[in-house]
Amino acid sequence: MLWLIAKREFRTRALSKANLISSGIMLVIIVGAALILKPFIVGGDHEPDVVEVDSATASALIPHLEAAATAQEFDAVFAPVDVPAEPELADGVAGVIVGPAEAPELFVEGAQDSLMSVVTSATQAAALESQVTDLGGDPAAVTEALAQAVPSVTLLGEDDGGFESGSFFAGFAVILVLFFVLIQSSSVIMMGVVEEKSSRVVEILLATVRPSTLLGGKILGVGLYTLLQAAGMVLPLLFAAWHLELLGALEIGVGQLLVNFSVWFVLGFALFTVLFGGLAALVSRQEDIGSVSTPMMLLMMAPLYLAIYLVPSSPDGPVTTVLTQVPFFAPFMVPMRSAFGAISPGETLLAVALCLISIPLLTWLAGRVYAGAVLNTGGRMKLKDALRRG
Amino acid sequence: MTALEIDNLSKSYGDLRALNEVSFEVPAGQILGFVGSNGAGKTTTMRIILGVLRSDAGDVRWRGARVDADVRRRIGYMPEERGLYPRMKVGDQLVYLARLHGLSKDRAVAAMEHWTHVLGVHERRGDEVDKLSLGNQQRVQLASALVHEPDILVLDEPFSGLDPVAVDVMSDVLRSQADRGVPVIFSSHQLELVERLSDRVGIVARGSMVASGPIDELRATDTKQWILALAAASAPPVAPPGVSIHESAPGLWLVEADSAESAQAVLASAVQRGAVTEFSPVRPTLTDLFRDVVSAPEEVA
Repeated sequence: MLWLIAKREFRTRALSKANLISSGIMLVIIVGAALILKPFIVGGDHEPDVVEVDSATASALIPHLEAAATAQEFDAVFAPVDVPAEPELADGVAGVIVGPAEAPELFVEGAQDSLMSVVTSATQAAALESQVTDLGGDPAAVTEALAQAVPSVTLLGEDDGGFESGSFFAGFAVILVLFFVLIQSSSVIMMGVVEEKSSRVVEILLATVRPSTLLGGKILGVGLYTLLQAAGMVLPLLFAAWHLELLGALEIGVGQLLVNFSVWFVLGFALFTVLFGGLAALVSRQEDIGSVSTPMMLLMMAPLYLAIYLVPSSPDGPVTTVLTQVPFFAPFMVPMRSAFGAISPGETLLAVALCLISIPLLTWLAGRVYAGAVLNTGGRMKLKDALRRG
Repeated sequence: MTALEIDNLSKSYGDLRALNEVSFEVPAGQILGFVGSNGAGKTTTMRIILGVLRSDAGDVRWRGARVDADVRRRIGYMPEERGLYPRMKVGDQLVYLARLHGLSKDRAVAAMEHWTHVLGVHERRGDEVDKLSLGNQQRVQLASALVHEPDILVLDEPFSGLDPVAVDVMSDVLRSQADRGVPVIFSSHQLELVERLSDRVGIVARGSMVASGPIDELRATDTKQWILALAAASAPPVAPPGVSIHESAPGLWLVEADSAESAQAVLASAVQRGAVTEFSPVRPTLTDLFRDVVSAPEEVA
């Protein structure tokens, strides 16, 4: 019976034309964009810039140029050539350098800041080397001494870890997707409940199905649908990220992100949709749904914002630790804290357990509200009356 | 006896007493017409039978046992406020509802095909309910009450908004269901229709059952009345002792007698005086009964 209701919910949502079309478009856009953008983002086998160096006047600069280019991560090949009296830039040539080595002349087209900075360093190094040689010193020993002249840094006071942008965005991505998926599924549930109520079909259904079964089947069906929809979005995104070779850029494993997401999707989904489904029964018309959904949206935004702002500044402060264990906050707090690596396995287990305990309690409560309110017509029903009737 | 028994149902909404110890019964195979003015408690009673509402007191029993969830799944119900999924196809919807009532998939499909055919909406199976006319939606609604081969039928105003042909179809369906041994309860404001179709009538007013029983018993009255019509220019009839006669219209006389013999005596004397065009016993119609009951002063203000 429960399964029959869930199946209808799932089929109605998943097979609706609007859903098929929008999911198809989404899929095409993400995959298509990944395929088309790859050459631009990854850049393929990037050709290093070629810089021509006049072999007659400036060849002494070449080792210094190469050292400076390596130090400044400037990808270039320095080719000794015979530069004519009137230098010109051939195809694929970024610049031409003509001696003398102590004061070379650089011919470029447009501003080439990094090339200029490389040439400046090389010239200074060459000048330093010739001076050291003139003074009877060993240029290699000087270079080595310079390389070793680096201060060692010891941090005093507490290490706040700075702002870890990688972990932040990994955690942020998980809870943001979670937030949107939960908002969407909650509103689908609410609309479904109100649709049955406003079309009065609920009276026929309740003559053969218990209210809690009806609500449960709805939640199960919409849950499966949302999960499918989330997968329909996450999988192409993962494909795109893999295709664009962006996966390696994340500091946190994709597997862990997905596990985080799925566990807290299921728990968060159960918590929020059960509550929303029960409360949606308080209104009778689609137009009135805002009076219930607005406070609910706020209820979801508070933990989202707290997770975004509170966790990065104090990943294991007392407020964070306490809120982690509050069922409605946990789906947002735990993934965020775990992205920062600031949560112990014990805390995670406790948070999961508390959510698991509160789900049946909430289901019972929501079932009561639903049963009490679902046959009431007219205006918005008061929560207290619904509980009394349920 | 297999009957649906409604026993002392009471229900209040806040201070409003919607039902006050309502009792009646519908034997298997009979049709009960449920009448009463708006707000009298018909819909509340039906919702309680279906378990959609809980009563404050009283019981509903079927075959001697209290109606529980299993029995309720075997009831066919048509609520007063029609309800179907507006965006679901007629066929899919009926199959879904039949399956919710416990039918297997094959049986559900067969029942859907049968009832859409009987009710004349088989050509609309692939259309969304929204797209149907109100009359056709009503037929689909009835089909949804019948599609799981119910043991009991509870129909709240099944005839409202139907054209005469559809009324006939609906009446035939109710009769054939009753003949199958199903107790049928239906409410209606069309009293002639109730009188024609029902085996029993329940009249409810202000939350109480004021009259219920086989329709013939209800129509039998203590004082016996006859209507006597005389041809024009006949002399007025003479009243023997124990009989009162008064003219209700020109040439039309209402005879109230304590026995059939006295009434026959009036007829005999009338025949001697002139031509009698009609002489027949008067039995109150359901409409008369209803008016009497409903206009009766409220005992509890």
